[in-house]
Amino acid sequence: MADTPTPLEVRNIKKRFGDTEVLKGLSLQAQKGDVITLIGASGSGKSTFLRCMNLLEQPDDGELFVHGERIAFKYTKHGREPQDWKQVVRMRAKLSMVFQSFNLWAHMTLLENIIEAPVHVLGKSKREATEHAMSLLERVGLTHRAKAYPAQMSGGQQQRGAIARALAMDPEVMLFDEPTSALDPELVGDVLKVMRDLANEGRTMIVVTHEMSFARDVSSKVVYLHQGLVEEAGTPEEVLGNPQSPRLKQFLAPKY
Amino acid sequence: MLDLQGYGPRLIEGAGVTVQLAVLSLLLAVFLGLLTAIAKMSRHWFLHRIATLYTTVIRGVPDLVLMLLLFYGGQIGVNAISDMLYDHFDIDIYFSFDAFAAGVLTIGFIFGAYMGETFRGAFMAVDNGQIEAGKAYGMSSVLVFRRIRFPQMMRHALPGLSNNWMVLLKTTALVSVIGLTDMVRVAAEASRATHEPFVFLVPVAVAYLLIASVTEWIFAWLQKRYNVGYGE
Amino acid sequence: MVDVNAWLNDLLAGNKIFTPATMAHYWEGLVTTTQLVFVSLIIGLVLAVPLAIMRSSKRKWISLPVYAYTYVFRGTPLLIQLYIIYYGVVFFDGIQESFLWPIFREAFYPALIAFTLNTAAYTTEIFRGAIKATSKGEIEAARAYGMSESLLMRRIVIPSAFRRALPAYGNEVIFMLHASAIASVVTLMDLTGAARYVYSRFYTPFEPFLFVALIYLCLTFAILFFFRFLEKRLLAHLPSQSA
Repeated sequence: MADTPTPLEVRNIKKRFGDTEVLKGLSLQAQKGDVITLIGASGSGKSTFLRCMNLLEQPDDGELFVHGERIAFKYTKHGREPQDWKQVVRMRAKLSMVFQSFNLWAHMTLLENIIEAPVHVLGKSKREATEHAMSLLERVGLTHRAKAYPAQMSGGQQQRGAIARALAMDPEVMLFDEPTSALDPELVGDVLKVMRDLANEGRTMIVVTHEMSFARDVSSKVVYLHQGLVEEAGTPEEVLGNPQSPRLKQFLAPKY
Repeated sequence: MLDLQGYGPRLIEGAGVTVQLAVLSLLLAVFLGLLTAIAKMSRHWFLHRIATLYTTVIRGVPDLVLMLLLFYGGQIGVNAISDMLYDHFDIDIYFSFDAFAAGVLTIGFIFGAYMGETFRGAFMAVDNGQIEAGKAYGMSSVLVFRRIRFPQMMRHALPGLSNNWMVLLKTTALVSVIGLTDMVRVAAEASRATHEPFVFLVPVAVAYLLIASVTEWIFAWLQKRYNVGYGE
Repeated sequence: MVDVNAWLNDLLAGNKIFTPATMAHYWEGLVTTTQLVFVSLIIGLVLAVPLAIMRSSKRKWISLPVYAYTYVFRGTPLLIQLYIIYYGVVFFDGIQESFLWPIFREAFYPALIAFTLNTAAYTTEIFRGAIKATSKGEIEAARAYGMSESLLMRRIVIPSAFRRALPAYGNEVIFMLHASAIASVVTLMDLTGAARYVYSRFYTPFEPFLFVALIYLCLTFAILFFFRFLEKRLLAHLPSQSA
């Protein structure tokens, strides 16, 4: 363990939109096999934080290390930008993101969605990628929908398909951005089950979620964000079982 | 079949000229339109300005005036270039600037501006999440463009494209004014010579409607193809 | 910059193109263009309103003939329509003997007729689209208050359709201004005709065509701003369209 580089580490990430500082200096380290859940009220900055990790948002300050490699930044008139976009592209290929609104490519079938990046980014052969994709589809229970277009699938199917698409990249770290928030309640279970299985097999995952049961049962670490700062962090037992700050206590209190 | 007092074959030839002219102009217009749309979305202020100037000026001036300017001015410009090449580089080439080239260039140039607006709107209509998903999976911006933005944009662009094509087709009639023998020019000549305008002009009008109908059908088919995956 | 100055001086010194005589031509051309466009737009608009109502009718025998008319006039080049009317007008029985002949022998009236019929067809379809887009709720509300069909049309549908049609109609006005350039093909001395005349006298394409291009550009912008202003005044009640 000690000699394998840390899959993902971010230090002192800051981000502002106009006049509001959304992230006020956040750090996080994901070791191999970690399942880190980010919780917090809406507006606490948890999704923005996640999107800074693969540079879909450009942090105004802070450092990123992917697999031990430091991402270099430069300052332009548009603000702080990565020095070398090729490095960013390379780094993103190691981190797969699963989006709240699935974002399966609408003009491709599910199978085409899954092999797209392996073929065109990783340079795998189409045959190899397709074989891998079919085994992933079997895992998420969607073999029968391989030829379907996203619009023809239910939300839950789309999200499981999107997870298969993420897995096809053999990512070092999987980033989940509220993967169940856009789903009808009865479809949430299937998606969570797939995520649990991934956690159990030792995948490194960072999950932004409102599903407290997932955070409690599956994660190795829970981070509670409040107004762009880490308010509390630790094991699920510490953070969820024995919250210290009044705000976290209020956040965890039953809503009814 | 259609003799039309001996003008039949020439009318059919003229129709061929019309179709060739329209298709070549369309290709040029699509190419210029894509460049314009990309320039307009670019962060480089210079490209942005140039593209805006192009679309504003072109859409503010009548097609016929632009065509006359390019046709009459074009030969002078081309002569100046070949003189310059000869004087400075000792290269002796003569470009002739014929009416067909002037027609394709002008119509392509004019409709490039309209296509630019169509494509820009269509690019903006592509859901940002689709692009983000591409980025998040390590696609370079070129790859994102080729594999996601372009195919998804086409679906939004096709209705506007088909619209522009219909206008473009009708605009080709103007080349008869700069001396190109398209079907309108043949029909106008025949009308003057025989004093029977309806015999020649009405069939040409019908030919335009026919070409429009056939191409409309092609566009509907394309739309269906690009709509794959978007439900009904 | 020095070069530009020298060029400008040269141009003015040896200038045969921008003389009082050619300016008079351009002015005449501008007047002709304005008359043609303005008159054809007004008559076209007046024709288009009843035509659009007929085109929106549920009775096929009313709507179909109007559709045939708009289909033909929107589907064929204006130049063809102009030729047909210009060359064809002699075939109306007795027109050459009638008091109208001096009028129709000139190119102005055939051009005016062609432009009017053309813009009426486009405007009809613009209005039809606007009528069709009237919200069902507004119509139901009017019916619920006991309005007759004709009252409903007059008081609710038409006024709101007018406003909704405004942006598209602004485009049609600009389109007509630009399309009017083909009047020069049938020997009319409109703006483009004036430029072609000056070109044929001096064989310098750039000055006359760029000059009238500039005038057209200014007119286009004037129309554009006028319609922007109208939209602001009249469309204030509509929810702003997302860009």
